[in-house]
Amino acid sequence: MIAVDELSVSYGAVHALRDVSLRAETGLITAVLGANGAGKTTLLRTISGLKAPASGTITFNEHSLVRERPENIARLGVGHVPEGRGVISEFTVEENLRLGAMMAKVNLSDGLEEQYQRFPVLGERRKQHAAKLSGGERQMLAMARALIARPTLLLLDEPSLGLAPQVTSQLMHTIQDLCASKNLTVILVEQNASTALRIADHAVILYLGRVVANDAAATIVADEDLRQHYLGKVE
Amino acid sequence: MAWLVARGRPTTTAGLLVVAVVITSLVTSSPRDDVAVSLAFAVAIVGVSTLTVRGLRDAHPVFARAALTVVVLDAALFATYFFSSITNFNLAIGAAMSITLLGLSFLTGASGQISLGNSAFMGVGALSVAIWANHHSSTPMAVTLLIAVACGTLVGLLLGLPATRLRGPYLAGMTLAFAVAFTAIVNSFTSWTGGDAGLQLPTAVTPPHWLSSFFNAQTSLLTVNTMWLADITIVVTGVAFFFMANLFASRTGRAMRLVRDNEVAAELVGVSLPRARVIAFMVSSAYAALGGGLWTLINNSVQPPTFSLALSITILSLVVIGGIGTISGALIGGVIYAYSNNVISWFTQHTGINQQGNLASQLPGIIFGGLLILTMLFAPMGIAGAVRRLWARRRVQTGA
Amino acid sequence: MDAFLTSRIISDILGGLTNGVIYGLVALSLVLVWRSTGILNFAQGAMPMIATYLGMVVFAHRLGYWPLVVISIVAGFGVGGVTERVLVRHLYGKPEINPIVVMVGFLIVLEGVAAAIWSTTPRGIPNPFSPIDWQLGGKPLALSPFSVYEIVTALVVMTGVAVLFRFTRLGLQLRASALAPEVSRLLGVRVSRMLTLGWVLSTGVGTICTVLVASNFFTGLTPQVMDGIFAFGFIAAAVGGLDSPVGAIVAGVSIGIVLQFVGDFVNSNAIIITALIILIVSLMVRPNGLFTKSTARRV
Repeated sequence: MIAVDELSVSYGAVHALRDVSLRAETGLITAVLGANGAGKTTLLRTISGLKAPASGTITFNEHSLVRERPENIARLGVGHVPEGRGVISEFTVEENLRLGAMMAKVNLSDGLEEQYQRFPVLGERRKQHAAKLSGGERQMLAMARALIARPTLLLLDEPSLGLAPQVTSQLMHTIQDLCASKNLTVILVEQNASTALRIADHAVILYLGRVVANDAAATIVADEDLRQHYLGKVE
Repeated sequence: MAWLVARGRPTTTAGLLVVAVVITSLVTSSPRDDVAVSLAFAVAIVGVSTLTVRGLRDAHPVFARAALTVVVLDAALFATYFFSSITNFNLAIGAAMSITLLGLSFLTGASGQISLGNSAFMGVGALSVAIWANHHSSTPMAVTLLIAVACGTLVGLLLGLPATRLRGPYLAGMTLAFAVAFTAIVNSFTSWTGGDAGLQLPTAVTPPHWLSSFFNAQTSLLTVNTMWLADITIVVTGVAFFFMANLFASRTGRAMRLVRDNEVAAELVGVSLPRARVIAFMVSSAYAALGGGLWTLINNSVQPPTFSLALSITILSLVVIGGIGTISGALIGGVIYAYSNNVISWFTQHTGINQQGNLASQLPGIIFGGLLILTMLFAPMGIAGAVRRLWARRRVQTGA
Repeated sequence: MDAFLTSRIISDILGGLTNGVIYGLVALSLVLVWRSTGILNFAQGAMPMIATYLGMVVFAHRLGYWPLVVISIVAGFGVGGVTERVLVRHLYGKPEINPIVVMVGFLIVLEGVAAAIWSTTPRGIPNPFSPIDWQLGGKPLALSPFSVYEIVTALVVMTGVAVLFRFTRLGLQLRASALAPEVSRLLGVRVSRMLTLGWVLSTGVGTICTVLVASNFFTGLTPQVMDGIFAFGFIAAAVGGLDSPVGAIVAGVSIGIVLQFVGDFVNSNAIIITALIILIVSLMVRPNGLFTKSTARRV
């Protein structure tokens, strides 16, 4: 379970997040929605330690994450798949996965096998350079790389970006399965609200750095005004 | 006078300046040097009042720069009359070096390219003057200098063409290799270049009669000669700086700065990247050659081993310490070059370090290197940049 | 057979190989630093030089050759690590001219300090390998015990570095820290430690190289001992491509051999001129080096 309280983050004079508070429960998918520039990516980057907040607290399983280094936060079990996926093109698929397994106390070959089973495409292409993968395959690689370290909190930044609808829906199924089978805490940032709301249990809407809605996903879906105002058309 | 200027008639002021200069030169052919002095000051006053009219400076920047140059040259020439021959000599060496520094400052600051090969370009200029003078001793000195500049520009073109495609470290490496290779090339043609001993100029540069008549008969020939050399160098320096100032501000200069800061934007705007880079290279090599050529004139000889990689590193250091991409920085660098040895020996004398020991001989290098590191870490814009920042801060504080 | 092996051509090849592995090692250490931290280390010859003085000279009276070598290498690790922590940290992300100028300044300071403490007089380093060429059928073969020592050491080091980078976890982390520092941190890699390690390793490799050069009977140890070699090593690295360890080694050895022929058949001045021409030509063909895999690695 992760709790964010009164979090404020600025880039120079620009306030990216103002007094943001939310909770993501274990075993549930919490979607963070909002338009471009609402602060969603900043939120994830602050949780994983890439950005220091001006004020506020972040507590994850009794640990305070504020002012911790990203590499230490990662070792606490936080897996962050960043915007753009962060797949290292110059490495092979397998090297990317080995990198992900670096800090895990997991047997490497077991870990690799598990990911290749979950994502057979990666298994087929294990010796290929990541630069040759398609968008969907890269997303799978990024996720597998985060998963191989057995995280307990998974931060996903716009995983559906640039993917065809069919691939997206497969991806969302996978996320749902993972969350359930491994009892993960998942924070899913998406600009495409309908995609996220289909699998989310809980949803938070950010607008210009502030939380404007924080409720069960079903409630948000049902609220027409909310959707019109902040999310555009949601099917 | 100010009334005339405030009318905003640059031509009138120009006319006045010209008249003042002409009168000064006519009058100075008489032995009454105090008349010359007052006229020299008259020119200075006209120039200063020109500059105090802001509208003029903004509307006709080239003219304002020219006026400033004339004023500064005026003051400098005036001063050389009173300096000792040693001071004049150092001044001349330093001024010639500052021309080279200006070229490199332009290259790095305005177009973002690094060059460790400027000692070689200086060498090209220096050797060109010596070789040409030895084979065609009747050519006037000014023409010989121009030939040296042309040679330097040509070599700059040859090196600049491959340089356009190279990024920072590769460019640094190529220019470094060039600097080292230059020494070897020079050694291969010792019949032309005189090897380590170098070449002498066939006829020393001597001052014209009207200048010598200025001094009373007891003044040594050396003093007069050195003053003349210093004067020539200062005038050439002034002209070189004037052109550079205009180049900085011109379309070409702006294009180059764009190339340095944002290649993509530059291409979008239609700047030809390779062309801008090559031009920058040629300009910096031309300036370096000019500096080298002047050195030959001042020293009356050229020693090829002078133009080594170590000199290139010194040049780069001075540009950095003075201030990359600034004109004043090049001047500061020139002054430092002229006087650094004196300062350091003064330092070793007063701190009781053994003059003959290892430490004393290495101290210039250690101090230089240390200054370089400290400058780059804490004041990357050099002395000129630091002064500028202090100035800007004061302005903000006083609300000017 | 004997006549063939002692012929001029073979002698030049062997001599060039001996020089070439040294250039290759220097080039390799430059590539190491470049790949792991994105900085071109102009002091790549001077830093190991100081370490070599610290190791070989300070304890010269008390210890034999091999212990001194070990001390030098350890000193090299130290010099590299301290330099990274104190000096280089501040240079990451700055415009390209900054690190170049700072490292050139550092080079000058190091050489000055070394000369001030130990003077510029060359020092011989006694070592168990004879520099006298072997004889084959009455004529000299361009190989001596010492040159074999150089070649073997260089090959061992090159192999070691290659193995480290390709096949070990550490190598993976080093490469990742250079290619994608942020992502690596998110995966738990201690990137800042990796950066230091990059400098530690590269100075270590450089020190081994400097020890070899200084142990050469005909060279000796001086503060300027690595100056010329650095220039050639740099050219090799640039020709091979600053991101390519393989390129560095291949270019280094090839250039060593080519220049040996040039020096033999033309004259010694032509050597650096040829090197310059090789550099210009190869950079015009491929501005990022002949062996680089990267395609459009624009700024």
